Amino acid sequence: MKKTLLLLSVFSIAFAQESLEELKRQLEEQRRQIRELEKKIEALEKQKSEAKEEVKEEQKPAPADRTLKLRAKYEERLKAFQVYPFRQTAFLPDLSLIVDTSLVGRNKNDQELKRLEIPGLYHRYGGEEHGILNKNRGFNLNYAELYLYAPVDPYFDLYAVIPFSEDGSEVEEAYAVTRGLPFGFQFKVGKFRSSFGRLNAQHPHVWDFANQPLVYKVFLGDDGLKEKGVQLNWLAPTPFYLLFGVEVLQGENEQSFGTEGFKLNTKKDGSGTDITVGDTRKPNLYLGFVKTSFDVGDLSVLTGLSFATGHTRINHIDEEDPHAFAGKTKLYGFDLTAKYFLDSYRYISFQGEYLYRDQEGTKYAYDDVGNLVTPSIQKKQGGFYSQVVWRFAQRWRAGVQYNLINKNYVKSNEVKLNLPNNLPAYYAMLEYNPTEFSRIRLQVGQNRAFFQDGSRKTVNEVILQFNFAIGAHGAHPF
Amino acid sequence: MRMLAILLLLFSFSFANLKVVATYPWIGELVKEVGKDRVSLYVIAKGTEDPHFVVPKPSHIAKMRDADLLIMQGASLEVGFLPPLLQQSNNPKIQPGRQGLLDLSEFVKIIEKPVSVSRAMGDVHPEGNPHYQLDPYNIPILAEVIKDKLCQLDEGNCVYYKGNLEDFLRRWDAKLKVWDKGFSKLRGVKVIEYHKLYDYLLSRYGMVLVGTLEPLPGIPPTAKHIESLISQAQGVKFILQDVYHEKRTAEYVAKKLNARMVILPHDVGAVPEANDLFSLFDEILRRLNP
Repeated sequence: MKKTLLLLSVFSIAFAQESLEELKRQLEEQRRQIRELEKKIEALEKQKSEAKEEVKEEQKPAPADRTLKLRAKYEERLKAFQVYPFRQTAFLPDLSLIVDTSLVGRNKNDQELKRLEIPGLYHRYGGEEHGILNKNRGFNLNYAELYLYAPVDPYFDLYAVIPFSEDGSEVEEAYAVTRGLPFGFQFKVGKFRSSFGRLNAQHPHVWDFANQPLVYKVFLGDDGLKEKGVQLNWLAPTPFYLLFGVEVLQGENEQSFGTEGFKLNTKKDGSGTDITVGDTRKPNLYLGFVKTSFDVGDLSVLTGLSFATGHTRINHIDEEDPHAFAGKTKLYGFDLTAKYFLDSYRYISFQGEYLYRDQEGTKYAYDDVGNLVTPSIQKKQGGFYSQVVWRFAQRWRAGVQYNLINKNYVKSNEVKLNLPNNLPAYYAMLEYNPTEFSRIRLQVGQNRAFFQDGSRKTVNEVILQFNFAIGAHGAHPF
Repeated sequence: MRMLAILLLLFSFSFANLKVVATYPWIGELVKEVGKDRVSLYVIAKGTEDPHFVVPKPSHIAKMRDADLLIMQGASLEVGFLPPLLQQSNNPKIQPGRQGLLDLSEFVKIIEKPVSVSRAMGDVHPEGNPHYQLDPYNIPILAEVIKDKLCQLDEGNCVYYKGNLEDFLRRWDAKLKVWDKGFSKLRGVKVIEYHKLYDYLLSRYGMVLVGTLEPLPGIPPTAKHIESLISQAQGVKFILQDVYHEKRTAEYVAKKLNARMVILPHDVGAVPEANDLFSLFDEILRRLNP
């Protein structure tokens, strides 16, 4: 061990002697290098300061030195904090605006159209003009609908739909949906489009035609069934889609339900005594539905049954021909959609719905001499629409729709009224969709369901519809 | 009593597997590789479909109802169909903010992120190009992510998943060498694509994108755009065509530029030869190397 150490020390000394000369030489070399570098740096600094002066002259008002700038802000912030520290824009809900506008040509002018009725089923009530799409000849701004969506918290999602018209706005939908209920349940509360049938829950901009089907118009009104209330649905744990749902709704629908009572006089001129019909129970409308869907290869089928029951109050006392109705209504619906997908963009789809209404109650009206008459009324009415839509290219769709009300059985005081029960309407459309955010649709149609003074009035119309969506990306429809 | 026990046992067996829903087939393949027979899998889209336009069929809702895990591609690719399906699934486990939702785009580097977006620029995704599955180097990263997620939800089988992952990575690494070698011959080759669908593959292997047949993302080709593309493009070797768009434009441009139209699968199942992740890249390479 000692030997090795000794050897090592001898070895190192020998090296030290030699390397001393070497070190001196290296040191000299390094000194030379440093001098050269110093010269270079000097030259560079000179250049740099010249360049700086140039820059300074160019952009005079702004301080060229970034640290200086920061220091200025630092001083400012020390004095008072200038930036808004409570900014909430990150929490802005998803927003979109959908605008629908149309050009309408029709063989009846707007005043004539207003006077037309569908006997036993529909007449335009003066006070309730909103909700009718493509109402006037010429240009229409059907709606500019604002959509809002965001999660409320980990437990609820909130949706709101606020359509603006030229006259104002309303809250068409505003509801919260649970996002965490166990066992396949979901709960909805607020004002929403009822899940009755297939089309009712869909917004007009995803409909395949410019107007709602005839059966929807006569049984659910121009606005459809949009009500305040709650929905509970349950998705069954089956390998195919099976959804059950119940809704408890206020039931203010102007075509089939209604909650507000009314008061009328036994004489048309007001000289008799007043009769009061009270409000219905509130909530008034109870509804249930079941929907199921399955795929067979490239064919997807969605079908459902719906049922609604509620009391009815219809108050048209302030009309020229005053009348009112109080009773009970049951509404049944069956819907079927079958969609065959040819590829990513092309499909052929069949969609149909049958609606049936069973209504009983008392009508309040005046006879020829102005005396109040209160016949008991019984209505059993039904009809359907069926349509075929073909998306034959990514941007193009074409479709036809056939509407028919084929049951219009009305008894007044046990006497069957002779009302027309063959009420059809036909529509055809061609659509060009430049993207999924814009649509141009040409629709032609004939409606043979309207009557005036007992004679049929055919309404022919052409609609050129434009629909645009901006903002958050909407969902593609099924 | 014994019947009840057997019934319960059967019940528990049928529930034993972790239920996974994947939006696209290639994600499903990763789940299969890692989870094998210990997960049950449902894939929403078909490989032959345009990934941007998957139809939100109600039948998918039924499959999502009991899912323990939903794995999505993200970067707004599913924005047209997944939100309504999720909302109707009545399944709290897979909602955003819960453990059962996995967005794979969070784990890879997304390219082509636009500085600002407007629909006037076509169907641009604010997050960037979402078709990241075509970079074969992204696959092992995502396989590991899926393994970690499966382990998180199903600790009992973690060792099993880990084993499967290791086996997969071994096979994938071996294949990567083959692909690297094969694709390296294509470095610098100029291509045109219909949609910016293959950009991750191109940038990985140094192929040069000259232009797209679409004038803007999601907007079908116009005569004017095609003419200007033809007049500007030089030395283009391939026109890369997806399986779901029309092929006439690509054929026309290929003829004009003396290039070759190649129908490239973008996902598993897009063409019959691409029946898993390995054969997907094999097939892409085969189609680009005659």
